[in-house]
Amino acid sequence: MTSSPDATIAVHSLWKVFGPKADTVVGTDLAELSRADLLAQTGCVAAVRDVSFDVAPGEVFVVMGLSGSGKSTLVRCLTRLIEPTSGSVLLDGEDIAQASPKRLRELRRTKFSMVFQHFGLLPHRRVIDNIAYSLEINGVGREARHARAREVIELVGLTGYDQHYPEQLSGGMQQRVGLARALAVDPEVMFLDEPFSALDPLIRRDMQAEVMRLHRDLGKTMVFITHDLAEAMKVGDRIAIMRDGAVVQVGTAEDLVARPVDDYVADFTRDIPRSHVLTLQAIARPVRGDDDLTGPRLPGTTIVRDAARAILDSQHPVQVVSGDDVVGVVTKDEVLRLISADDPA
Amino acid sequence: MSAPVLEEAPAPPAPRERWSLHRVFSSKASWVLVVLAVWIILGSILSGIHTLTLATAAQSPFTSWLTEVASAIRGNRTESVAFVYFFNPVRGGIEGFIEVIRSVIAVPGAGDVIPVIGWLGVIAIVGFVVFATSNWRTSLLCMALLFACGALGVWSDTMDTLAMTLGSVALSLAIGLPLGIWAGLSDRALAVMRPALDLAQILPTLVYLAPLALVFLIGVASATIATMVYSIPICVRLTSHAIRELRGSGALEAARSMGSTRWQMLRKVELPMAKRTIILGVNQTTLAALSFVVIAALIAAPGLGKPIVTALTIRNVGDGVVAGLAVVFLAIMLDRATTAAVVRSDTILSDEGRVRRRIALAVAAVAAVAAIILSRQVLWAAVFPPALVIGEPVGAAADAATEWFTSTFSWLTTGVAEFLTVWVLNPLESLLVNSPWWLTVVAISLIGLLIGGRVVGVVTVVLLTAIVVIGLWSDAMATFAQVLMATAFTMIVGVVLGVLAGRSAKVERALKPILDAGQTLPAFVYLVPVLALFGPTRFAAIVCGVFYAAPVVVRVVADGVRGVSSDMVESATAQGSSSWQIIRKVQLPASSKSLMLAVNQGLIFVLAVVVIGGLVGGGGLGYLVLVGQSKPELAGKGLAAGLAIVLLGVVLDRIAQSSARRRS
Ligand SMILES: Nc1ncnc2c1ncn2[C@@H]1O[C@H](COP(=O)(O)OP(=O)(O)O)[C@@H](O)[C@H]1O
Ligand SMILES: [Mg+2]
Repeated sequence: MTSSPDATIAVHSLWKVFGPKADTVVGTDLAELSRADLLAQTGCVAAVRDVSFDVAPGEVFVVMGLSGSGKSTLVRCLTRLIEPTSGSVLLDGEDIAQASPKRLRELRRTKFSMVFQHFGLLPHRRVIDNIAYSLEINGVGREARHARAREVIELVGLTGYDQHYPEQLSGGMQQRVGLARALAVDPEVMFLDEPFSALDPLIRRDMQAEVMRLHRDLGKTMVFITHDLAEAMKVGDRIAIMRDGAVVQVGTAEDLVARPVDDYVADFTRDIPRSHVLTLQAIARPVRGDDDLTGPRLPGTTIVRDAARAILDSQHPVQVVSGDDVVGVVTKDEVLRLISADDPA
Repeated sequence: MSAPVLEEAPAPPAPRERWSLHRVFSSKASWVLVVLAVWIILGSILSGIHTLTLATAAQSPFTSWLTEVASAIRGNRTESVAFVYFFNPVRGGIEGFIEVIRSVIAVPGAGDVIPVIGWLGVIAIVGFVVFATSNWRTSLLCMALLFACGALGVWSDTMDTLAMTLGSVALSLAIGLPLGIWAGLSDRALAVMRPALDLAQILPTLVYLAPLALVFLIGVASATIATMVYSIPICVRLTSHAIRELRGSGALEAARSMGSTRWQMLRKVELPMAKRTIILGVNQTTLAALSFVVIAALIAAPGLGKPIVTALTIRNVGDGVVAGLAVVFLAIMLDRATTAAVVRSDTILSDEGRVRRRIALAVAAVAAVAAIILSRQVLWAAVFPPALVIGEPVGAAADAATEWFTSTFSWLTTGVAEFLTVWVLNPLESLLVNSPWWLTVVAISLIGLLIGGRVVGVVTVVLLTAIVVIGLWSDAMATFAQVLMATAFTMIVGVVLGVLAGRSAKVERALKPILDAGQTLPAFVYLVPVLALFGPTRFAAIVCGVFYAAPVVVRVVADGVRGVSSDMVESATAQGSSSWQIIRKVQLPASSKSLMLAVNQGLIFVLAVVVIGGLVGGGGLGYLVLVGQSKPELAGKGLAAGLAIVLLGVVLDRIAQSSARRRS
């Protein structure tokens, strides 16, 4: 994969091997072994295997995989909370993997921030001082950092809780503090490691909406880790699926559903309702000579579910357009086939 | 009607239960019994030969060499480079530091009648400091306890002990906290310190005294240094634990992810989060220091230990009880003050509460300053008013109570004591002391081998042989006999109470104050009442050991029993087990690791006190240490006895620990 020059994050051939003599694995025949074989032969765990991807500015990039697939290790390698074994991580063209300790601290203080599954709040500090922590260690004065902290407190809907201690808050509220803390330094990139996995389903839905709202308003580039495909599809522009440390496929939700690269990915996406993911483009058939082209026109990027009503109500095939060109037509048949496949009752 | 069917079902064969010669000899316990039997038979046949007995005043080659070394060291104090440029300045510095504190609260300066601050001022300062670090209730309690010390008529000794304790704690923390933090942060630092920390855990207090007194002379300096040597490892261990326990915490990772420097991590994240456990470490350090300062009276440390030692040597129960009570009050005060600080550090105040507290603090500060000034101006506030002193009646009451108890319960104080001495202690001692030394070495090593494995077997041979070479074999075996008997009794008491406490919350609540007291009180104060009841005998030393070690054993056993999963107990109950069956077949086996740990702790605690029992007629190595302390010509013997105690401790610790590891 060649990285585009304007990518915010460009990860190239990233490896992380845990265990004795971890540095003797990459670049040798051992690297070809499966995770299980490598463990049996050397006692090393290849938590991240040869991962490459780009994240565009303002994109929400989701990394998704089962527990143990290496997601947390990957995201910690990107921020060097875990030292990568090899490979490069370019942030705006600068290799984080090579940054000096001092430079790394600077980057952490200004350019990117993290949100953790178990919040990682400082129990001995009030909400406001938790949020102001990164400003505090950066030498921002008390007044200024509290003023900024109050801004983000309002942004994440925690107004009135600034003097509370973390243990006095519910899980959802604690993670709002986590989000506020990550936003306080106004970073360019946010890394979120399963930020909502520890929360109840209802709260989780609120928080997903909250993150999408923040993303819409602030336009941060995000790397979002989850093990929940529904969540991945809800928040992500593109999704990388990980398995045993390697990225199996990167693509939009539609790519994964419509064109899975292997049975593993297909299996994953089996339970996702196609009509919620696929666009008209994906199910349109080419225009035939006998097609009646008097029906309504819809853009090819429309999700099937959103267009279903219109298609079912129309007497004529719906024309799928890209710009001004008609790229195909969709009839009731395609829609009904898709919907009945989603609901195999 | 299905139940009868169950009952009629043929019992499954139980091959493991069937007795067979093969099974008996394949089990370790039986081999231990065989070794014991052979030892007893051979020992009684060969009784009295190769016993290596050495009269108290006699020297072995090793002890006379050590005596020479000791006198060489004494002679070199003014000349040798190490002394002139290191030991003497250290001694001077520490002595100066402690004397400054003492001159403030304990001893009048030259030409003065009172120290800088009189009793009222001291109580006020303590009250204010405790109020500031915890709450007013604890503050009142602490002031009352100090006042009680004054009322007992031992104000100035109490102040000496307090000054020595506070000074030693300050120095211990100054060294122990940084070392502990370092050991908490760095695995390599901990690995370097670990052997010393482990050794410190099994060293009985008594053995610190003589070597330090040799180098730093008896008195304040050696007492303080010995106290530091004793309490610093405790501080290091707990502080390191406090930092280590944070590892893997999300908060640390988050702080790192935000770009904290190492120093910012430590100051703003790790230390605040570890604060609670660190304060608990300060609590333990303080109590250890207090108990050591009292014992350090044996090397002429000023304070409450002195009247206790005197009371013990001339068997003056009344004076000993008065001083002992004051020590108890001090211990409670220091314990409450430090643990309340832990609670305080956890409380979250509202804004209004904070303002109120600030006002209260200001008022208290003003009152304290007023009391200090008063205590420098007015006689009744400077010197504890004699009219309020009730020490003598208390002492007399203690004497009377002792009199009454020993005459009313003479069946216990002399009957039971004699019975156990004649039927348990004497035979045991005779086996250990009168058997040929080589037989005993072989027998104990074989048992060590069987219980602990090959390494332990070898270690046992080597260390026991070392005791033989030192030349104190017979005394070591006398001490060993007392330790074994005391440990056996401790385990009986500890397991019974521990199982009860582990099974019933009610029993646990009832025992808690006693257990807390047991862990807080300095070992020395147990000697006074025990001596009063049992007289200066080996049995008294054993009873002391049991009293001192039982609380910790109860606690470990209770924790173990409580730790057995309730699923296991429930399913056994559902299968119709009786309580006794559950204890015997489920709870005790499942907590066998705790039991072995309890034996280990019990042994170490018992050893520490049994040797102090040398002071009250226990004889053995402890007595030799004390003799060496008072007679320069036997200094080497005292030092050697200390060394033998350490070797004995290591042997016991190794055997008990390895068997604990094997069971887990
Ligand atoms: N510090 C470590 N040492 C050894 N193995 C590790 C370490 N951290 C993670 N692993 C292993 O790496 C693999 C990936 O773990 P992780 O990144 O936590 O997965 P995920 O976040 O996807 O659940 C797992 O098999 C885990 O056991
Ligand atoms: Mg994870």
